[in-house]
Amino acid sequence: MKDTGSKGRSQAVGVPSFAVSGYIAAVLFLAVGLAALAWRIHPLNNDVATGNDIVTLVALAVLGVLGSVSQERNVGGRISFSFVSIILLAAVALTGPFGAAVVGALTYLLAVDKQRLEVRAFNIGMASAIGAAGGFAYLMAGGATEVGDAGGVGPLFLHVGLPLMLADVVICLLNALILSGIVRLTQGTPMRRFVLGMLGTSGPAYIGYGLIGFLFVILWVPAGVGPASAVLILAPLFVARWAFVQYGDEQRAHERTLSALATAVETKDLYTRGHSERVATLCDLMAGSLALSHQETEALRYAGILHDLGKLAIPTRVLRTADRPCDADLASIATHAARGVEMVRGIEFLSDSTEAILHHHERMDGRGYPAGLRGEETPLLARIIAVADAFDSLTTSRFHREALTVKEALAELHQRAGTQLDPSIVAALERSLVRHVWEPTRLEPALMATAGRAFDHDDPAASDLMAGLAGTETST
Amino acid sequence: MRRRVRNRVRTLPLEIASGVLALALTSGAVAVIRLRLREPVIYSLGPLLTMTGIFFVAIVIGEVFRGRQPGTRHTAPMATAAALALAMTVECPHGVPAGYGAPLVVVVTAAAMAAGLTPSLIRRQPLRLTDLSNSLLAITVAAVLFREVPISNGRTVLELQASWRPDVLALVMVLISAFALTVEVLLLALVRAARSHAPFLRSFQDEFVAAFGLTAALSATGALVALAERPLGVLAIPLFLFPLGLTQFAVQRQSAIRRTYGQTIRTLSRLTEFGGYTEPGHASRVAELSLAMGKLLGMSERDVLDLEYAALLHDIGQVSLAEPIPGGATVLAAPADQRRIAHDGAEIVRQTGVLDNVAVILEAQTTSYRHVRELGEDLPLASRIIKVCNAYDDMAGSRPSTVRHNAAMERINLGLGYEYDPRVVDALGRVLERDRRHIGANAR
Repeated sequence: MKDTGSKGRSQAVGVPSFAVSGYIAAVLFLAVGLAALAWRIHPLNNDVATGNDIVTLVALAVLGVLGSVSQERNVGGRISFSFVSIILLAAVALTGPFGAAVVGALTYLLAVDKQRLEVRAFNIGMASAIGAAGGFAYLMAGGATEVGDAGGVGPLFLHVGLPLMLADVVICLLNALILSGIVRLTQGTPMRRFVLGMLGTSGPAYIGYGLIGFLFVILWVPAGVGPASAVLILAPLFVARWAFVQYGDEQRAHERTLSALATAVETKDLYTRGHSERVATLCDLMAGSLALSHQETEALRYAGILHDLGKLAIPTRVLRTADRPCDADLASIATHAARGVEMVRGIEFLSDSTEAILHHHERMDGRGYPAGLRGEETPLLARIIAVADAFDSLTTSRFHREALTVKEALAELHQRAGTQLDPSIVAALERSLVRHVWEPTRLEPALMATAGRAFDHDDPAASDLMAGLAGTETST
Repeated sequence: MRRRVRNRVRTLPLEIASGVLALALTSGAVAVIRLRLREPVIYSLGPLLTMTGIFFVAIVIGEVFRGRQPGTRHTAPMATAAALALAMTVECPHGVPAGYGAPLVVVVTAAAMAAGLTPSLIRRQPLRLTDLSNSLLAITVAAVLFREVPISNGRTVLELQASWRPDVLALVMVLISAFALTVEVLLLALVRAARSHAPFLRSFQDEFVAAFGLTAALSATGALVALAERPLGVLAIPLFLFPLGLTQFAVQRQSAIRRTYGQTIRTLSRLTEFGGYTEPGHASRVAELSLAMGKLLGMSERDVLDLEYAALLHDIGQVSLAEPIPGGATVLAAPADQRRIAHDGAEIVRQTGVLDNVAVILEAQTTSYRHVRELGEDLPLASRIIKVCNAYDDMAGSRPSTVRHNAAMERINLGLGYEYDPRVVDALGRVLERDRRHIGANAR
């Protein structure tokens, strides 16, 4: 189950408005209604002889609280883990719909982590409602109310396993639906997109929850292990979760290391300080409006951070040339794309990014470097970096001019759309800059004085200069 | 790289010895069991065959997918869990009591492990016999404890459990598995300690910590499968191995990202070489030497990793220089320049926000050892190691001749106690001596 736990505190339910409070109240109302209905249909079994549901219920609620402690931090990549879903499913089979509703409510009522009141209320309502709904689905599919009576392997699958799978599907769908409402209200994400997105990312996990919930129930009643089965079932899952968390941490560490060390290279040149970071940010913005996949966005970001890494191999003297470098120096500067690729060749996971690093100075008219690719021959990611690169160069102070404003820079890019840059990507940049504020990077005059003069190879004018060079080379 | 290959060749006899030891212990245990007279148990063969057959298949599959990456423990968790469950099964399908003894468990497991080796044999991959014999020993320990050792009134756990509550039985199963797996870790630590010339206690600590998560998951899963066989029959075997599959996947992802991280740092360490600031291969040679010394000096796995990263990145501060130092040899630069480069490097690494330990090491990499002696400064061991390794490599270079090697050692010995930590220099001597013996042996 996905709750608004971590997200909610920061943004999701950040602005308590009338609509949000109303929605939370409606969810709570739904939960109470479903619980009442559940009690009518299938009250708790209080008979000590046939098994006391209250004891089971309390044990499950305790497990739920323990499970919710480590609930749903984003565990790196798009793997998420939810113990509460498993506990709810076990409650469905062991105690029926009312029991599941109570376990769901108790889990968040007693949750120890600090949640804001409305987040907690929402989570209580949602968990309770989906628990009860799952319980109804289980009963309707002919699920056994006393798991112990379903003797034999066949009946166990038919009267416990299968109905539990159905309950699992209902819980998954209702969870996505209720969440999409609150996200729609607080963040404006369309409900359909959110539900589809959530089914895509955590849908497969629910198959696992269903199976594990089933195993849990079997161990609890037919194998007779009782509440202790939680330890056995959840131990491998806790370890898996721990490994996933470590994985997420390592991955973040990895990304930060890579970008920090790449930025270090820029310290050589005061003008380009922070340039890679800004290009990566611009790429991220454009990835959104170009609807790139998760994988492409990752590759693009790395390529953005590392696109000028090859400059390290170019002598400082060449980069510090004042006005127009000589042709030999220009040719040397043009090698930086290929040198950059050479440097990161050893890093496997960057293989999707290397193309973009290599071709980020190609032009639509085929006069760019290093390969002279034309139009769409240049990989998409490289064309995106080309636009970000030119835009950041224009909106940063240079020794010979002030930083351009966003509007001026966009006008300049539009002029170059078709010859140097891809028009559709310039348009994408413009679209994303409508929604995000971009501050031009204005450098202090004192800083610029110490920095002295430097040749900026990212300036669109430089692209023309080098294109001219390439032209003469091909003509001679 | 070369050095690593050589180490493997060298420690091979040791690994074989430990493998033989484990096998001898296993067969000894089986022989002892054989001597013990057992009442002939009459059990129907059909259910027993079905069950052992399925366990056999599960172990073979687990073995075929035995992880090959170095540095991961319990490389075939599914196989180990299945074998543990076989060792602790109390009931065959159709309610037939599982009265078999430990020898059956050992024989089935060993046969399945052997069968699981087939793909490796076909592909001519190296067989990790040490790991296999260690695992087999763990299974034997579990089977003997559960099925053979009389714990009360001459009755074994298997005979007693009928009167126990299932949750008590579960607890006993988990404890037995955990004990058996700890024995395996102990043997593994012996092998590792011998291989990396590290103190045994340190290796055991490292192995134990690293294996802890999977050991817990494995112990639980062995018990899970054994307990679920009663209601579910043999179906329990694939079903209840599923959560462990998830664990294995997660742990593999984790070790994969660790490898990638290391790869990135190694690549980034070459940035200064690309920029013409340092000699090609300098950073990786210093790292390799530092690694060997760190292990020899008994540093923990975590500290050794920090040491390795710091050694790889020790010259990264040079990228902030406008022009390279001739030859990139910092040992020949003025002390003030050395300190500034070290400081810049530490600053760059600190920017990552995740490598603070490495930054601390880098900061102190040029500090003289006398600061410890005279001023009582706290100088990280890793920094002292890097200082010595860097000096040696700057002066001796790649694959030094005996003359260059001696000259470099002489210069370092001149700074002994003043510039360099004597204990570290001593370790350098031992590591290099070991390697040079090898080159000699290989040349002959």
